Amino acid sequence: MLKPQYDLAFRDIVGGIIKWQLWTRAGWADVRARYRRTTFGPFWATISLGIMMISMGLVWSALWKMNVKEYLPFISAGLLSWALVSAIISDGTNAFTAQKGLLEALHFPLTMLTCAVVWRNLILFFHNLLVYLLVAVIFQVPVSWATLMVVPALLLIAINGVWVSTLLGMMGARYRDVQQLIVNLLQIAMFLTPIFWTSDQLGGSGRGKFVLVDLNPMAHYINIIRNPLLGEFPTVLDWKAVLILTVLGWLFTLAIFARFRRRITYWL
Amino acid sequence: MASITLENVTVDFTIYGHHSFRTALLSTAGGLIRRQGRKNDRITVRALDNLSMKISHGDRIGLIGHNGAGKSTLLRVLAGVYEPIGGRIITEGKVSSLLNSSPGMNFDDTGYENIMTCGLYLGMTKQEIIRKTPDIEEFTELGEYLTLPIRTYSAGMLTRLAFGIATSIEPDILLLDEGLGAGDARFIERANQRVNKLINRASILVLAAHADALIKSMCNRCILMDHGRVVRIGATEEVIDEYHRLTSERAAVQG
Repeated sequence: MLKPQYDLAFRDIVGGIIKWQLWTRAGWADVRARYRRTTFGPFWATISLGIMMISMGLVWSALWKMNVKEYLPFISAGLLSWALVSAIISDGTNAFTAQKGLLEALHFPLTMLTCAVVWRNLILFFHNLLVYLLVAVIFQVPVSWATLMVVPALLLIAINGVWVSTLLGMMGARYRDVQQLIVNLLQIAMFLTPIFWTSDQLGGSGRGKFVLVDLNPMAHYINIIRNPLLGEFPTVLDWKAVLILTVLGWLFTLAIFARFRRRITYWL
Repeated sequence: MASITLENVTVDFTIYGHHSFRTALLSTAGGLIRRQGRKNDRITVRALDNLSMKISHGDRIGLIGHNGAGKSTLLRVLAGVYEPIGGRIITEGKVSSLLNSSPGMNFDDTGYENIMTCGLYLGMTKQEIIRKTPDIEEFTELGEYLTLPIRTYSAGMLTRLAFGIATSIEPDILLLDEGLGAGDARFIERANQRVNKLINRASILVLAAHADALIKSMCNRCILMDHGRVVRIGATEEVIDEYHRLTSERAAVQG
């Protein structure tokens, strides 16, 4: 027998996920809002990401005397993956606060809102993917069976995205500083995670690699998307780490969600 | 058969931040304010205080009381938006709520797009909404306007649209907050007919409003609330009279 609050939390999560007609629509609505009355709409973000990929790729490969043909696709795939993961995290912090009016007017599973956050960011990912495909064609990034691993990777990112934005959404509703804090941490994390640099460049005794790469959850999330995009298999360590994070993250979120779910509307 | 049972329902709000505390203290309206915590720094407002009642099928309840008496909070509890801190609520029947004038609507979307969005939030499937759309078109009388973004609508038009959608799901329990006031006389009449049709299928209406005329025309029972408590439940006319007596007494004391 489940404790009643766990039962209700579980129902909310399942009830939210099966309302896919609603969260796909809500996610799309946010993207559509960016298209409205503009020529490029969400592609503006894509364009700026593309400029960043190419300029950073050229400058840093020259600085570090690296082969542009290898480095530019690496940094592009890294930035593309980072854009997805970091946007889910930062949007997650206001998953509930941004919908105050709606939450106070209607009763529906709260998980619906966090699914919408993930869906919206997946749509934006596919916008951004276009510019990466261009890079991949120009620099002849190999396509292999490994490339297909991007599909389960995105699925895992989505599954993780729901617990991340549920957890951060609750924290962001209760403590309004959380959003600013997360934005700041993400900025630092972008440089501490191997996106601009490779783990091989750390060299030395390997302690730096252990701390910044092996112990860094963001590195594993990035690797499971980036490696297939570069035509390489992700390492077993990356997949193991992400699978463990998925299970632990969901268990932790379920406990917190069961305890505080009913308070969320009061916090808004 | 639709029914709502409240057993000792209590709702407390914790106020975060001092500004809201100061404003809360200075106002005469509202629920009971208490300080908790080690340094008396946790402020809670009791919005609903130990409320018990049973609402049965066929009841058309009007909620009255001055600002901050707990009418909207009670509606939100009935809608399931707020889960009570104490006590419990048992609701039987499909609930539809219209607690603000545009629940879930996107102002840049057209009327038709919002019928779909809002309908989904109310728990309908896409197929159901497509089936219900002609009925909503007919009721709202918005015609060509339904193809325009709803930011071009007047307050009354928005009310018509929202009311049309909220009632189209054929709820057993319909919850309405103030908003109807934005509609004109013709709308009120048509809304009344539509609600009567629902009531004939044995359902419940709970309406919060300030306009006596609206309550008198739509409700057969009234609940007078004050400071989060029920002061009186009874026939519409009696309770409205009681409310006015209370209001003038309070004015006399303050004057």
